[in-house]
Amino acid sequence: MSTEIADKNRDEFDIEILNTVGKPFIDKPEDIKMATRDCDVFYGDKQAIFGVDLDIGKNEIIAMIGPSGCGKSTYLRALNRMNDTIEICRVSGSLTLDGQDIYSKKQDPVLLRARVGMVFQKPNPFPKSIYDNVAYGARLHGLVSNKADLDDLVEASLTKAGLFKEVKDNLQKPGTGLSGGQQQRLCIARTIAVDPEVILMDEPTSALDPIATAIIEELMDELRHNYTIAIVTHSMQQAARISQRTAYFHLGKLVEVNATNDVFTNPEHQLTENYITGRFG
Amino acid sequence: MNKSTQIVEAGLQKRYAKEKRFRLYGLISILISLAFLVILLADIIGKGYPAFQQTYVKLDVTIDGEVLGLTAESPEDKLYSASYSKVIRNALREKFPGVTDRKQKRALSNLVSKSAAYELRDMVVENPNLIGTSGSYWFLAKDDVDVFMKGNIDRNLPESDRRIKDYQLEWIDTLVAENRLEKRFNTVLFTEADSREPEQAGIRGALMGSLYTMLITMCLAFPIGVAAATYLEEFAPQNNKWVDLIEININNLAAVPSIVFGLLGLAVYINFFGVPRSTPLVGGLVLTLMTLPTIIIASRAAIKAVPPSMREAALGLGASKVQTVFQHVLPMAMPGILTGTIIGMAQALGETAPLLMIGMIAFVSDIPQSIIDPSTVMPVQIYLWSDSPERAFTERTSAAIIVLLAFLITMNLVAIMLRKRFEKRW
Amino acid sequence: MENGDHILQSYDQELEEIRSKALEMGGLVEKQVSNALQAVLERDVELGEHVASSDADINELEVEIDEECASIIARRQPAAGDLRLLLSIIKITTDLERIGDEAEQIGLYASQLGNHVSNQGMSAQLRHLGELAHSLLKLALDAFARMDDEQAMDVAKKSRRVSREFDDLSRILITHMMDDTRNIKNALRVIWCARAFERIGNHSTNICEFVIYRVKGKDIRHTSLKKIRKKLYPETLKDKKSDDE
Repeated sequence: MSTEIADKNRDEFDIEILNTVGKPFIDKPEDIKMATRDCDVFYGDKQAIFGVDLDIGKNEIIAMIGPSGCGKSTYLRALNRMNDTIEICRVSGSLTLDGQDIYSKKQDPVLLRARVGMVFQKPNPFPKSIYDNVAYGARLHGLVSNKADLDDLVEASLTKAGLFKEVKDNLQKPGTGLSGGQQQRLCIARTIAVDPEVILMDEPTSALDPIATAIIEELMDELRHNYTIAIVTHSMQQAARISQRTAYFHLGKLVEVNATNDVFTNPEHQLTENYITGRFG
Repeated sequence: MNKSTQIVEAGLQKRYAKEKRFRLYGLISILISLAFLVILLADIIGKGYPAFQQTYVKLDVTIDGEVLGLTAESPEDKLYSASYSKVIRNALREKFPGVTDRKQKRALSNLVSKSAAYELRDMVVENPNLIGTSGSYWFLAKDDVDVFMKGNIDRNLPESDRRIKDYQLEWIDTLVAENRLEKRFNTVLFTEADSREPEQAGIRGALMGSLYTMLITMCLAFPIGVAAATYLEEFAPQNNKWVDLIEININNLAAVPSIVFGLLGLAVYINFFGVPRSTPLVGGLVLTLMTLPTIIIASRAAIKAVPPSMREAALGLGASKVQTVFQHVLPMAMPGILTGTIIGMAQALGETAPLLMIGMIAFVSDIPQSIIDPSTVMPVQIYLWSDSPERAFTERTSAAIIVLLAFLITMNLVAIMLRKRFEKRW
Repeated sequence: MENGDHILQSYDQELEEIRSKALEMGGLVEKQVSNALQAVLERDVELGEHVASSDADINELEVEIDEECASIIARRQPAAGDLRLLLSIIKITTDLERIGDEAEQIGLYASQLGNHVSNQGMSAQLRHLGELAHSLLKLALDAFARMDDEQAMDVAKKSRRVSREFDDLSRILITHMMDDTRNIKNALRVIWCARAFERIGNHSTNICEFVIYRVKGKDIRHTSLKKIRKKLYPETLKDKKSDDE
């Protein structure tokens, strides 16, 4: 990209007319799992997200990267209405899951969160046994009727999360006694147990060592076949390793969305380039 | 070695000395407070320990039907109303026949507590066949005898300075020589309510009063306090001026002098709602008011300390707000909440001032049977006894303090055990 | 560098160092080629031998640059522009090293050729070819030094002429060989020289392709020029059309 084009982009950004570059939209409607159009998020008077247009495809891992405070986590949380708990937070625009507006009055947030699960930055197992941790969601929603089914569900979820072999003899031990990586996998198992359609991950490996991170990344790659995954990460290498598409956020705006390969070898936008090459923005 | 290293090295010794000194100061202050505690406890226990023993007198009593005007067939109300003190007096006179002086006669009958007559009556009522028989019975000794037996009256003092005169000493010596005076464990202290006679005064009334009052306080303050704290922390709208106002007022209430709560209780509960005065019910209500701010503040702090990640985890799995709070936040905050509750309850247990205002200072000689019986509470009882002129009440005051402390420690132990159980689930 | 500085200054320094080393290598190679050309054209046996023996510096530099690139990739995990810069440098140094080898060959032939070339037409054609290849290399290195994709595009366009020149020369040489079989030995040497110059031209084109890859992020190897233009410079196509009209 020549200097001239880069400057042009920057000017556009400065005057706050920003069109997302790249391919934020998915051509085939049947491939779209979630879609947001003109999504704004406000914290009180402060606007945190500015008109984000983005499609999230079925069975893809989409990574959201950007500097701290760029709004990527806020956007992620808007996708399963976790922001509802923050009183001053307001979301506008259209956000849909399978074409249905998730912010409509008809949409129950509890049901939404059962369909759009979330894994958080810090592994946060409940101070209960491993078994109870995984069974929690299923019990909450009454997904299973008897103990045997619940046992099966717990085992299946732990297996999918790649944790069953490690903990099968210690299911009644507290989940908080596991290592950080195991705890995070327990949290993933707990999320899977509710059988969501989309899993949102908010920096799931930022508290983990590289080996545990690699295990989680491998797991995510497995999960991709059954779930849609949107991940916010501070590690660009992680985004590069696991995602199919990468979205770059900057100051609350979606700057660029492209295939991860393209973003990391040849980003379209100067801001993206600056961020992923570690330059002053 | 560069310059700054040299400077650092030069100052190092001084710094270490400073640290050492500071540690020493800390140690000294802890030792001082420990010393005070030990002195206090030693004093109280030293003074209160004798109260757990009481002197008894053995008398040969002839339950003379003629003296009493009774037969074995007399109806029960007759049995009750007969003058048993005469029998006791006769027994004493028989024992010491030489006494003729009126003053000495009265002194003689004062060797034995007035309760002796009641004890005798109870025995007779239970078994009317005793009428006409005679036998040896142990009776409570009068407080002066008790005080003397415990060595608190010096017989070498001139007679005019002694509460026990020479002739009384003689009787006591005779009784001791015949093994008719004996110190036993003081069951009266734990089975009886307050009395004007020190040897008959017990703390059971106050203990039960305190227990009922604490029960009421606990049952009201804990749920209300936790509910209020939960609402304010989890559900109340943020940055709302009404909520802020409530918060400020709760914090202020914690600093309000407790007697004000007593006035409030008097005005609102007794005068307006007509709750019976001097009862554990109204006492509990007033103490609830006083304890609430403490519990609310402590509970809010505990709830605030629950990591937000726990709430997010539950919400993210599709738990509703209420489910999140009740299944995760409150159990995790429970140790902190319980600590706050213990502090509040301990405060309430030791509180006197507000209870004075609602009449719990009244002299109550019956053990309260329910929350609407007039009663007093431990600290008030201690206050009452410490105010009494009789020498024997001094040791009872200390004994009551010991019992109060034991009550407090038991309460705290239970709470700590509860807390440990909740903590385990982390 | 046009993108502003990295937050890590040492990263900038390393990239700059690697780039200047690549440029230094380019300079060395260019000097070798120009010396080889001079040796062939002026029948300078000594210079030819000198060229043939001084390829070692270039090889050493290539190894050095490769090592540094590997170290940056391992330690910095370059992405986007930085990644493309490193990849293009690795590729370009390979091409430069090959060019160096070709120059070495030319020097060798020049020393063997001595004064034997008599045919004027052949000589002129060889000069033509050699100068063209040399100028392509210079332009390519210039484009690389300035990361000028448009100049690189021009070089790529010009490079077709090299093959044409080579074809012309080989036709002349065949005639020359048919004239007198004794000429065959020298004619073969000349044609090998010509072949080497043609290669140099092709390698220069490769360098240009990597310059374009670095700047535009598109790999244009094995793609026709027209398609490249359509893909990367749609505006120039339009300009052309309007010019035509």
